[in-house]
Amino acid sequence: MLGFLTRRVLSAVVLVFVIASVTFGLLQLTGGNPARSIVGQNATAQQEAQKAAELGLDRPLLTQYLDWVAGLLRGDLGTSWFTGQPVSATLADALPVTMSIVLAGLLLSAVVSVLLGVAAAVRGGWLDRVLQVVSVLGFAVPSFLVALVLALFVAVRWGLLPATGYTSLTEDPAGWLRTITLPALALAVGAIAATAQQVRGSMLDVLRRDYVRTLRARGLADRSILFRHALRNAAPPALTVLSLQFIGLIGGAVVVEKVFGLSGIGTAALSTAAQGDQPVVLGIVVVTVVLIAAVNVLMDLAHGWLNPKVRV
Amino acid sequence: MKRRTFIAATGTTAAVTGLAACAGGDGEGSGSGTSGTLTLATVAAPQPWDLTEAGLGNNAIYYQPVYDPLLRLTADAELTENLATDWSYDETGTVLTLTLREGVTFTDGTVFDAEAVKANLEHTRTGSNEASTNIASISSVDVVDPQTVAITLSAPDPSLLTNLANVSGMMVSPQAIGTPELATTPVGSGPYVLSSSGTTAGSQYTFTRNPDYWNAEAFGFDTVVLRYMSDPTALVNALRSGQIDGGQLTDHRNAAPLEGADDLTVTEYVTGDVDGLYIWDRAGTVVPALADVRVRQALNHAMDRATIIETAKGGLGDPTTQVFNPESTAYDATLDDVYPYDVARAKELLAEAGYADGFDVAMPDFSAFFPTAQAALTEALEAIGVRPAYETVPPDQLINELLAARWAMSYFTLASFRSWDTILIQFLPESLWNLFRVEDPALTELVTQARNTLDEQEQADLFQQVNAYVVAQAWNAPWSVVKGYFVSNDRVDVQMRSFAPAPWLYDFTPAS
Repeated sequence: MLGFLTRRVLSAVVLVFVIASVTFGLLQLTGGNPARSIVGQNATAQQEAQKAAELGLDRPLLTQYLDWVAGLLRGDLGTSWFTGQPVSATLADALPVTMSIVLAGLLLSAVVSVLLGVAAAVRGGWLDRVLQVVSVLGFAVPSFLVALVLALFVAVRWGLLPATGYTSLTEDPAGWLRTITLPALALAVGAIAATAQQVRGSMLDVLRRDYVRTLRARGLADRSILFRHALRNAAPPALTVLSLQFIGLIGGAVVVEKVFGLSGIGTAALSTAAQGDQPVVLGIVVVTVVLIAAVNVLMDLAHGWLNPKVRV
Repeated sequence: MKRRTFIAATGTTAAVTGLAACAGGDGEGSGSGTSGTLTLATVAAPQPWDLTEAGLGNNAIYYQPVYDPLLRLTADAELTENLATDWSYDETGTVLTLTLREGVTFTDGTVFDAEAVKANLEHTRTGSNEASTNIASISSVDVVDPQTVAITLSAPDPSLLTNLANVSGMMVSPQAIGTPELATTPVGSGPYVLSSSGTTAGSQYTFTRNPDYWNAEAFGFDTVVLRYMSDPTALVNALRSGQIDGGQLTDHRNAAPLEGADDLTVTEYVTGDVDGLYIWDRAGTVVPALADVRVRQALNHAMDRATIIETAKGGLGDPTTQVFNPESTAYDATLDDVYPYDVARAKELLAEAGYADGFDVAMPDFSAFFPTAQAALTEALEAIGVRPAYETVPPDQLINELLAARWAMSYFTLASFRSWDTILIQFLPESLWNLFRVEDPALTELVTQARNTLDEQEQADLFQQVNAYVVAQAWNAPWSVVKGYFVSNDRVDVQMRSFAPAPWLYDFTPAS
């Protein structure tokens, strides 16, 4: 177990390093000129050069890169070129926003898709057919459209929930829940569609197995068979889909954050990449890769818990 | 939705239609009652609190709650006292003496005095952002006595006083200058202080009253919240659901969802930009044809300005042939009739210049940013036989490539506020946006004369001559005075401001 974890963590470290280096390289390839963007279109060439020197952009690329890696090893992600804020502070502000909506979206899609999937598999009939249609729809409708419609009706027309903004959990838990509900819902729709299909499929598979028939023959209650035995065996494929959804939700958050005016990782990634704010972009990449690697490790552990056969 | 049009009260035109309760003149700061919270959307990403890194334009509003400027501008751009109570130039126009207000302290307890002014101006000047650029003419600041400073300039600067009423003239506690904390925590003497609760750096800033502020009655709100909203959809939703009290929209298409919202007022106003075809290569370095004034005039006649505004810009904007702001002293309405849309005349002028078959010209591809404008430009040029070839470069390199004088002309938008500001960035031989460093002795002579004239009326006449000369020489082929929308709800009254891309904090009062 420990060996497995160590291997996973080590490979995650290598992954972070490789992806961050590639990102660094790609940012150089865009050939942008951050010093000019910072000083504005009316600054002289001399002011631009002064800014470039301040940021250390006049040094050789390799020096800049090694400096950044050295900082990373010390846990120092540097300072934003544009706002002067430490990158760690920017991430500390943005990460809770994105994690709130992504995790809430994930939780929502896990619960709803299990309920829907199991119901469709067990009941069949019209419920199953409705679910099929709704799933295709949920798949086809992009999350930004769901977000726009939710914002327009629930927030603007009916005034039920705030249209934009984010209240932190520590400041006001009720306010936090109100601000993340619509974005999480917008994110969850697509994930529910995909995961519910998966749950339905594997439930149907499992319910046809011999051991289920045996359990029935022994007179176990339907509920017990369904949730204690069948669902547990049907869960691993659904879990795999869900972990992939997590990565998808982080991507989807970029658009959903924009619609709801949230300053999360997605918004930060978009604006800093457009500006060429290299330290922040690299910081975001590192954090995202770490998150995804962590989710993968957790999923492996969950698989082991669900199915002793894959325990290591 | 209520619509209103704002036309500045400077000069002779003063007409406000629709729901325009705001009188010009000294309406600002007259809010008697104090109440509640003012929440505004900002469209520019926040910058550091150290003024060496500060921008102007849409960034100015971040600094206005916490830092007080030396002078103040009323909404129609008249200078009034603020931290300086009196100001005067010597007879050469190169030494400015300021008398300072007594009894003002910064929020860290430091006293505001001549030393503080010296420390601030000398510090801000060393930066590389716009606030620094605007006081580049200051060569030294001398303390005469604790309440008097003498500012010496390298040459007369007709814009200095108004710049001292903006971010460049804002005062930071001298104790805080140069400390790393200033990047994230402002220390000033302004009407508000930054509150840590309700503030998330980069996205939302909450300000509460500074209890010791000397002029508290000029600010009608107890709390000011600035929210950075980069997305127009989020901005419109926030306005419609009452989450914010005001925000600006630059694209006419974004205003459509506001139809039917009765508590919102949409004010159309001049943002201070002039867009159109800028002819950079007036001397014909890259494209020889452009050296001939008849060719440049032909380009002007080729522009169907009214139609372009109607189709490419949704009717938002006023046609013009001048790069000077209509509210500035240099503006002359009659100049807008110099180049009527006339394709036949344009072709005739081209033929006279020896370009009956037109000519080729390389231009930057702006289709990613201004697709409709570029399409309109292409159509206008091709109609008179000029053949544009668009070159694509990555977006963040566009400005640098333009500045490197790569293209002879292009569609562009340049800020145009006061007469001297416009001359400074476009018409001096060394001006940044005189891309090919073209020098016309007659123009330089007029500009120098205007700069050295201290009498305002005489100076205004000279600025008009500069403008008339540039239009006659067809240095550019402008299209329109760019306009934008400012949307506010019925909880606040807002007075639009001359020479600013959006209203300042001083321009908001609680609705009466």
